[in-house]
Amino acid sequence: MRTVKATSEGAERMPWLPRRGRISWFEIALLLGCAGWVGFGFAPSLQDVTILTFLFAGLALAWNIAGGYAGLISFGHAAFFGIGAYASTILLLRYNLTPWIGIFVGALAAAIAGSVLALICARLKGPFFILSTLAFAEVVRIAALNWSSLTGGAEGLSIAPMPNLASMVLASKSGYAALMLGYLALAYVITRFVEASRFGFYLLAIRDSDEAAAAAGINPLVVRTSAMALSAALTGMGGTLFAQYFLYLDPTYVVSPELSFQFALLPAVGGLGTVIGPILGSFLITPLSELLRSHLGNAAAGLHLVIYSFGLIVVMLYFPSGIAGALDRLKRRRSPP
Amino acid sequence: MSTILQLVVSGVLIGSVYALMSIGLTLIFGVLRIVNFAHGEFLMIAMYGAWAISHWLGLNPYAAAIAVVPAMFLFGAIAYRLVVSPGLDKPHLVVVFATMALSIFLQNAALMLMTADLRDVPPIFARSISVGSVYIKGELLLGFAITLACTIGLQWMIKRTYLGKAIRATVQDGEAAMLMGIAVPKIFLITFAVGSAMVGLAACVMLPLFSVFPTVGLNFVLIAFVIVVLGGMGSIEGALLGGICVGVVQSLSGYYVAPAFGQLFFFLLFLLVMIFRPNGLLGQKGAAMLGMNE
Repeated sequence: MRTVKATSEGAERMPWLPRRGRISWFEIALLLGCAGWVGFGFAPSLQDVTILTFLFAGLALAWNIAGGYAGLISFGHAAFFGIGAYASTILLLRYNLTPWIGIFVGALAAAIAGSVLALICARLKGPFFILSTLAFAEVVRIAALNWSSLTGGAEGLSIAPMPNLASMVLASKSGYAALMLGYLALAYVITRFVEASRFGFYLLAIRDSDEAAAAAGINPLVVRTSAMALSAALTGMGGTLFAQYFLYLDPTYVVSPELSFQFALLPAVGGLGTVIGPILGSFLITPLSELLRSHLGNAAAGLHLVIYSFGLIVVMLYFPSGIAGALDRLKRRRSPP
Repeated sequence: MSTILQLVVSGVLIGSVYALMSIGLTLIFGVLRIVNFAHGEFLMIAMYGAWAISHWLGLNPYAAAIAVVPAMFLFGAIAYRLVVSPGLDKPHLVVVFATMALSIFLQNAALMLMTADLRDVPPIFARSISVGSVYIKGELLLGFAITLACTIGLQWMIKRTYLGKAIRATVQDGEAAMLMGIAVPKIFLITFAVGSAMVGLAACVMLPLFSVFPTVGLNFVLIAFVIVVLGGMGSIEGALLGGICVGVVQSLSGYYVAPAFGQLFFFLLFLLVMIFRPNGLLGQKGAAMLGMNE
């Protein structure tokens, strides 16, 4: 049996209130460590893993703004990812617009889509909200698959693999790693900024209670819409970076429900509504799943995902507040208040 | 005119088969207030079970239901014990992610054991039945009859039996039901197992119509979500109505627009329902606004 504990500290609550506004030396050290990892070079066999880990950490942070802080659990973020990726790629291929600008056009398009989704789901909660986001992403996926004149249909789009800084096709993997780390840092700084701002308090307020927040003078619709738009914009930027790295857009992957689940699972494993959670989630899960894939992928198709999902079930059921929550509890135990 | 009639009849029949597959989901949602994201994978496993029986034992897939339905009942009970019930007292997100991880697990376990090949059974009825100018597939007609029988049977069970009364009491107020001596955890277990058994039956009806492969569940679970929300989550007759709507929309838009856009239309229909009538056509009032499980 569990003993009764005071919950005022928020230790037993999930998602708990973040300790805002404080500089975390651990986070700074982690980011500097990553920069050093990229700057001083790393083993070629780890290049792909590193790039994906940074990219997905940024995407997990983006999802976390809506899902973790505002409680808008979305299983449709692949739609924003796809919109960002397609927008910048189509602009590059058709109008020769550099992705350095296209990335922002993609972010804007994704933000508009995010606002539309938030307005559609304005009054929905719980499973209804989740299922609507899933349906929204399906609409986008079917459109991407069938609107062949714009998106290339099921064949997808490919970018010429000619290294050229202007079209954001880099020659070296280290360059991509730096680019993804920059994206991760941007998502980190924005999350930190949101967390410390008044807007961040609004997000937590509507997450915990719409009614109470409205009674306190917050307009839940405006806050929900802007949280979704910000989260979608960052996700769309990740989509552009993904397209520029793989140089190929496959609509069955870029807008797939599996990808949406991935965006949501990383912060959930790391710790929802924290800055460090999504980063830790991606740093742990992405290399692990890539490692399992490369070692077991040839032996038996699907085995790596069997092991991976089994681990996820255990983590979700027994560590519902994620790695960040577990670390937090450890810290509390070591230094009682 | 006869084209439209044909399309509507086929839509109603295929929709009723979709409804059968969604009844388990809506039942589990209505009582436990959770969405089982592994529902499609339960269907996939049951379809493989029915396929194995008809392939290796040479039995008719409908006869395979005798083995598949109890097996799925047991499977549902085990999945509930291991994956769902440990997460019920935690925030609802935990169950969402746990069942989603379960769906990835089952999908890939099937991929390992059965490979990605499509498996199907030969058609059961040699030719379609014709009524006037309308042709009806025997498998679909049988599916329609089974769905109707199940809907009526489940309604009777919920309205008339002691178990049904206990289930309704649990839905109304779990704590009060517990004080009245109803073993609520047991009701949850039974409901989850019955919902899974319903999927088992749906799988036997669907196997003659669709091929089975490891990711077949994903297509169908999205349809099931649309149906369940359309009909009102937790409403069994709503699932039937929602299923028929989806079937007709799919059949008409598939003929008049393009088959690929059939899905687009019912997802749009879903979003429209969410905007204008979030409780579904026959659902409880205020369900969507309350989030039901908070």
